[in-house]
Amino acid sequence: MGLTLDIKGLITPFSALGLSVRKPHTLNYPRVPREPAPGYRGFHVNDLSQCAGCGNCQDICMNEAIDMVRTDQEINPKNASGLVPRIDYGRCCWCGLCTDVCGPDSLRFEADCIYVSADADSFLYMPKNQA
Amino acid sequence: MSGTIRIFHGPQHPGVTGNMSLELELDGETIVAATTHVGYLHRGFEKLIERRTVLQAFTIVCRICVPEPDPNEENFARGIEELAGLEISERAAYIRVMILELARLQAHLLWLAGQGASIGHELVPQWAVGDRDYILDLFEEITGGRVYHMYIYPGGVKRDLPEALPEHLNRVLEALEQRLPAYDRIFFDNAAVRKRLQGVGVVDRQEALRNGYAGPVLRGCGIARDLRRDAPYLVYDQLQFEVPTADGCDAYARALVRRAEMDQSIRLLRQAIARLPSGEIQCRLPKHRKFQIPRGETYVQSESARGAFGYYMAADGSEYLRRLQVHGPSMVHAFTLLERLLIGAQLSDVALIMNSLGICPPEIER
Repeated sequence: MGLTLDIKGLITPFSALGLSVRKPHTLNYPRVPREPAPGYRGFHVNDLSQCAGCGNCQDICMNEAIDMVRTDQEINPKNASGLVPRIDYGRCCWCGLCTDVCGPDSLRFEADCIYVSADADSFLYMPKNQA
Repeated sequence: MSGTIRIFHGPQHPGVTGNMSLELELDGETIVAATTHVGYLHRGFEKLIERRTVLQAFTIVCRICVPEPDPNEENFARGIEELAGLEISERAAYIRVMILELARLQAHLLWLAGQGASIGHELVPQWAVGDRDYILDLFEEITGGRVYHMYIYPGGVKRDLPEALPEHLNRVLEALEQRLPAYDRIFFDNAAVRKRLQGVGVVDRQEALRNGYAGPVLRGCGIARDLRRDAPYLVYDQLQFEVPTADGCDAYARALVRRAEMDQSIRLLRQAIARLPSGEIQCRLPKHRKFQIPRGETYVQSESARGAFGYYMAADGSEYLRRLQVHGPSMVHAFTLLERLLIGAQLSDVALIMNSLGICPPEIER
């Protein structure tokens, strides 16, 4: 096996040392949470004063993650069924088809995307009532 | 007593590129026989799609390949458009090209991270994953998602580009253009990397043609095949780019091909921003239960970062596809080719060769 010396190939990797004086790309402590992009697909919000109770969101959901349920909150008087969507976050894949088909545009996404709970039932999530 | 030992490498092993395993027979550190076991990640996507309307099914296809989901979305959408006779706007076609090229860039950076880690290069994976994150930021801005975008939709794309996107994209491309020569210095021109990659995983040129190998594996054998040029789709025929090749047939040749493709993707993205026309992004579609696909069949293909992806789709006039079959590049690379390449290789070369072939086990089993 012949020995050939690749001088350039041995030296150039050390050029990376020059980056040690540059500003790091990683975040320093104290950690400042990064703002999600506008339009990020986080949790659902539903404007109950607009929701028509039509169930289009439930119909199009390919994961069967949406149930139409009753709520104690005040709803749109024109809500035909008296029901509003509840999302199962054990099934949801955040594809956004439900928000696309929402006629009155009451069901939308917010950028918030962190939820922690030891109660598995709480992942049957009632979207925040938000205009 | 035989002088060899038999070990399982994967499916849970940091050096295996996903959910597949290798049964290796070792003589010391040298592999004397290898058997690949694929099928640990059969999720039944093709069957699931038959039970969903075409608009529901589009959310599944991106999950076929985790590192690069967008060619799947594009293939599926284009197949539905061909079957239903839909025509997408030029703006939507340009946006799709931008998404596909960004996907190619991030997939190559992810490969670079894996290839670096597979040979014990500690620096390049950190850089590459970090730089990839800036591309994921762009995806988040455009699509609302970072990894699975669910953005390329039958009839166009789901949202228009944000106003600030061209500026942000230019900023990322400039940063990458400055960064890629640094990758050359620490990785591609690195004498230690060359020593590790050259002469390893050598693919026979005739075999590559005969068995239908694709992507960087084929172009690393000096064969300039690329569907974007050979069977142009979207607006690739209006854009200028080259199809890089290398002659070594080994892991290093494939690395050089991918490195050159990153330059070409940046070139394509710059052209796409400059020529982006105004107009609609989505044509009008019927409601999902009334969107019936006329009886017919089609086969659509696109060039992903790992090679050609093909979708065979057959419709029977209902709102469901009768059959969808996905032809991905990983199966031909991961099955018997990998077995052959591993014979005579060192145990420490297993991860190197798998990464170099661009094997994505989630895409082998649909």
